[in-house]
Amino acid sequence: MNYPVWQLDAFGGGLMIAMIAVFHVYISHFAVGGGLFLVLTEHKAYREKDPSILDYARKHTRFFLLITMVAGGITGVGIWFTIALLNPGATSVLIHNFVFAWAIEWVFFTIEIIALLIYYYTYGRMDRRNHLIIGWIYFGAAWMSLFIINGIIDFMLTPGDWIQTHNFWDGYFNPTFWPALFFRTALCIIIAGLFGFMTSTWIKQASLRKKLVRYCALYLLIPFAVLLASAWWYKAALPAELQTLIFEIMPEMKLFITGFIYLSPILILGGLLLAIRLPSIVTRPVAVVMLLLGFAYMGCFEFIREGGRRPYILRDYMYSSSILKEDMAKVQQNGLLKEAKWVRNKNITVASELDAGREMYNILCLPCHSINGPLNDITKLSSIFSERGLKNLMAGMDKTHPYMPPFAGTAEERKAVAHYISYHLNGQRQSSEEVEISPVAAVDIPAFNDKQNEYVLLAWSDMGMRSMTDSSNSWMMLPPGVTLNATLILRGETPEVITEGVSLEYQVAADFSDPAAQVDFWQNSASLFNKEILRNTGLSGSGLNGIMKAGESTFSAELLPLVPYPNKGGYLPYPTVSITAKGSEGNTLVTTTVVAPVATEMGCRNCHAGPWRVGNRAGVSRQTAENVLAVHDRLSGTSLSAQVAAGKPVLCQQCHSDSNGRHPGNEQQLNMSAAIHGFHANFLTSQDASACTSCHPAAEDGSTRAFRGMHHSLELDCTSCHGNLSDHALTLLKWEQEKGNNRASVLISRLQPSAVDTVADINPRKPWVNEPDCLHCHLEFQVPEDDITFNQWTESEEELFRNRTDESGQLRCAGCHNSAHAVYPTVNPYNENLDNIQPLQYQGEPFPIGSNRNCAVCHTMTMDEEMHHPNMLREFRNQ
Amino acid sequence: MDPAALIPTPDAIPVHWGWFQLLLLLTFYLHILFMNVMLGTIIIAFVRHFQRPAETCPLTQEISNKLPFSIALAVNFGVAPLLFVQVLYGHFIYASSILMAALWLSIVGILIAAYYTAYIYRYQYEKMVDGRIVATGLISCLLLIIGFFFSNNFTLMLHPETWHSYFDHPAAMLLNFSDPTLIPRYLHFVFASLAVGGLAIALFFNHRQKKGDPKAGEWVRYGCNWFGYATFANFAIGFWFFGTLPKGLINPSSLVGGLFSIFLIIGVISALLAAIYGLRYRVMPALYLLLGSIFSMILVREFLRVAYLKPWFSLADLKLATAYSPLILFLLFFACGLVLIGWMLKITYQTYRNREVQS
Repeated sequence: MNYPVWQLDAFGGGLMIAMIAVFHVYISHFAVGGGLFLVLTEHKAYREKDPSILDYARKHTRFFLLITMVAGGITGVGIWFTIALLNPGATSVLIHNFVFAWAIEWVFFTIEIIALLIYYYTYGRMDRRNHLIIGWIYFGAAWMSLFIINGIIDFMLTPGDWIQTHNFWDGYFNPTFWPALFFRTALCIIIAGLFGFMTSTWIKQASLRKKLVRYCALYLLIPFAVLLASAWWYKAALPAELQTLIFEIMPEMKLFITGFIYLSPILILGGLLLAIRLPSIVTRPVAVVMLLLGFAYMGCFEFIREGGRRPYILRDYMYSSSILKEDMAKVQQNGLLKEAKWVRNKNITVASELDAGREMYNILCLPCHSINGPLNDITKLSSIFSERGLKNLMAGMDKTHPYMPPFAGTAEERKAVAHYISYHLNGQRQSSEEVEISPVAAVDIPAFNDKQNEYVLLAWSDMGMRSMTDSSNSWMMLPPGVTLNATLILRGETPEVITEGVSLEYQVAADFSDPAAQVDFWQNSASLFNKEILRNTGLSGSGLNGIMKAGESTFSAELLPLVPYPNKGGYLPYPTVSITAKGSEGNTLVTTTVVAPVATEMGCRNCHAGPWRVGNRAGVSRQTAENVLAVHDRLSGTSLSAQVAAGKPVLCQQCHSDSNGRHPGNEQQLNMSAAIHGFHANFLTSQDASACTSCHPAAEDGSTRAFRGMHHSLELDCTSCHGNLSDHALTLLKWEQEKGNNRASVLISRLQPSAVDTVADINPRKPWVNEPDCLHCHLEFQVPEDDITFNQWTESEEELFRNRTDESGQLRCAGCHNSAHAVYPTVNPYNENLDNIQPLQYQGEPFPIGSNRNCAVCHTMTMDEEMHHPNMLREFRNQ
Repeated sequence: MDPAALIPTPDAIPVHWGWFQLLLLLTFYLHILFMNVMLGTIIIAFVRHFQRPAETCPLTQEISNKLPFSIALAVNFGVAPLLFVQVLYGHFIYASSILMAALWLSIVGILIAAYYTAYIYRYQYEKMVDGRIVATGLISCLLLIIGFFFSNNFTLMLHPETWHSYFDHPAAMLLNFSDPTLIPRYLHFVFASLAVGGLAIALFFNHRQKKGDPKAGEWVRYGCNWFGYATFANFAIGFWFFGTLPKGLINPSSLVGGLFSIFLIIGVISALLAAIYGLRYRVMPALYLLLGSIFSMILVREFLRVAYLKPWFSLADLKLATAYSPLILFLLFFACGLVLIGWMLKITYQTYRNREVQS
């Protein structure tokens, strides 16, 4: 942010530093351990009075000098060049804080070089004692170089108290200094043995070769115990959250951890193999392989250490993007483009969005994500997400992926970065958001003659906005099933609610007569629900036609097998069902038609890749469904993808309980509502209803537009009653938290309430029981003073709008007002009056039944008492 | 675009900037000496091979022997000033390095190639009669390229007003040709290297001559001639360089301008005298004058940097986060290191002297 960015693209993601660093680190460790090897081998030659060993030691010194001084020394400078180019901010912090440590290291580097040159060029010329002293000086200086640099390297991973004190010594002697020093010292000696094999296996004289190969094997084998013990110590010295991050959470660490674990015994075995007498034709290639394995071993360790710092370059101080932790809030507030020095686009316009996205990508993402390169290629990682999905992912990536930093910028900037990745890098062309809806034919309003008809039949769906999932061969969250309710009223001066001596027959519209041909729910029902469900039959046994079950005052047909796909194809989320009341002799008393809403416009694909399953407007495609499971597996450690691959689809409620008690789930897990809202609230961070309609079928430009009642006409939205997604999620999580679920506490810690000051102010609620209610705004049924209610919930299921009755206790609120989200007068997007059939049938206008002084729908006398609820005898207010 | 808006915010320094300035000057002085010897001698060797391809002479033999040492020492003594310049001017040099990042990082590979070629030249000298011209030519070219990249970077860092080119050149290969001082500045260093390389040759064979080598005198004169003529050539380049400096950059009435002028004059006069002594084959006086001249010119270079950056930055602007104990520790290690190096050089010298006595 403070510096320009080298736009490396394919070489980004740290590839340059990885290439140079691993190479240099391997040789520089050889430069330390090899120094010990040189001087001890010289001692050995003198001790054993063996000039051939001395000759070998001299030749090995030349090999050592050429490797360490040229390739090792220059790549060491190269690392410095590289880190200053790739992360100048962090380099500057290291240089300025530890300048005198670097300077001391330079002193030892100088001693090393001079000592090594003298050591090599005076071999056989200088007297033994002094020559050995020079050798020991070389080794001592080399080890001191390691000692010095070790403190700085480990500071980057575990800065310890330096974060608070900024004291040189606190940072230098940080928590992992000592274990790392032991670890690296052991590693140096092992590497010296590996390079020793390279020269000793090339000795022509067999007996000498055998002797010295065995001697080299000791360098490999003796320090291994120290190495493993110090590796354990090193791990234990890491802060607990860092251990969890590296060894449990970060997916890309697994390869390197596994590599390190497996290579340890392989190296030991290789050392033992070389120690036995083998012909040089075998030992030479083995020596080369061992050297390469050692390189891989070193690489694994360095990748673990480097990767473990994420999302920081200097842990807890500076993010990989070079943004200081303490500056993050400011950058998020003011925007990256305003805060960054090296950007051309200080604002985002339509014309500049792509270039601004590129500039921000370079600052925020390129340090870890290459573009079409070998390291963390962004195109591979992001190709499964839509532009919108990327935008949302970036909003919460730090919470669910703790190795990722928070997005350092505004929501607008996040969108621009997502646009750059999705449009420019991945070539995705976002289709128009607006879905064109083809109106259905004019609705047939059943006949009703208020002079002749004795009965009024009111019917409604228990939910005005009902979703189902149609990815049954992958996973099932919401099975098909629309429950209809009805009330039959015998008109009169004192109308009666009739439930006995009559029957109510329902018949789903002919165009929806074969749902099993549209979705694979029935093929998978046995796997999902452990029972075979008959084709075109609902979970409770209801078919596409039948008799409604009589209750105390209402009839119901439960879980009708309705899907939003007509037989002729396409998507129509408002199937109709005709209901006929018949007398005891089978005579028709009254007929009506009701909409049974059911939607598959479930926006998983907005983030989870893949197309809509049907008509480019609805349904969860196989690709989307599989992506959902893959993400679940990655983040929650499940193996759901494998389960599906084995032919057993997943029922979400097997783990995440539903509120109706049909599926108790796993007690350790959050209930379905809390889990899904609590998790996704990390990503869908917009404060308005767009967060809700990312998943629910109520987007203004979507294919369902299920929020279609009067409150929609009055321009309320989801957040008016439910709060924004973050608040909404907190209410659900808090209920789980109070039950003792720790997972809820974790998710709560990631969210910020907005409607109230603190999480403590959030009132917990059980899903589908504690819900917002009409009377929270319509106090005493009066005109509301406010159109926002949040944090007030119904006490019990009986209080829910769909279950509550008028003051007579006979009529359900929904019977006259229609279902929640679709209260009369409704404007259905597919046909204006599709939901208003009954008010139009009985009173010729789309207002709630009996409103606007339409008491005559049921009453055959003039009414002057507000029998059903206060404030009802008046002209309808919102005509 | 306001250039000041592009200049990164520097980090705080642990001790007064004067310490770093002092250490920068001292270590850069050592670096430039070794660098000049390294570059100058290899170019001279190349010219010699070019003139007499089949000749095996003590001059090129000794250069091939010593070249790995001079590279090692030039690199080693380059590390310290690079460290200290980052402390004082990191926010300029990091930015300019990134603008030419691809070229800047290529130095690592180029240097390794030059270094290994130097070892090949050393160990295969006798065998590779025809290859000597190729090896020395290649090493010279590689080192000259590195030198040019350094000149490019260290002038680019002085010109924040040109940094906006970054936005139009994302390939990170920005060259500072818009700065008219770049070429004369670069050539000034190259010719200084030829001069110092020549004097180093003269010094080496002067030592041989004192030890009784009858043929060494020829090479003393050879080296001195290189030194003298390259120095005179460098006067011309120096004046060219001076003439390309922006008008008004140096105000002799200011402190920086005054010091710049004084040390420039000292540097020029001492170089002139050194060249005269050199052409008279008076090696030691030429050496002392040259060392003084180079030190003066290094000071001039620093004052020039201060003058260039004056509109943007002053060293006094750097914030201080005081921590003196690491400095004390460094000075302690530095002193001990010098003692240790001195002892090692002493016993090495004794070893060679004893062998000469024995032989």
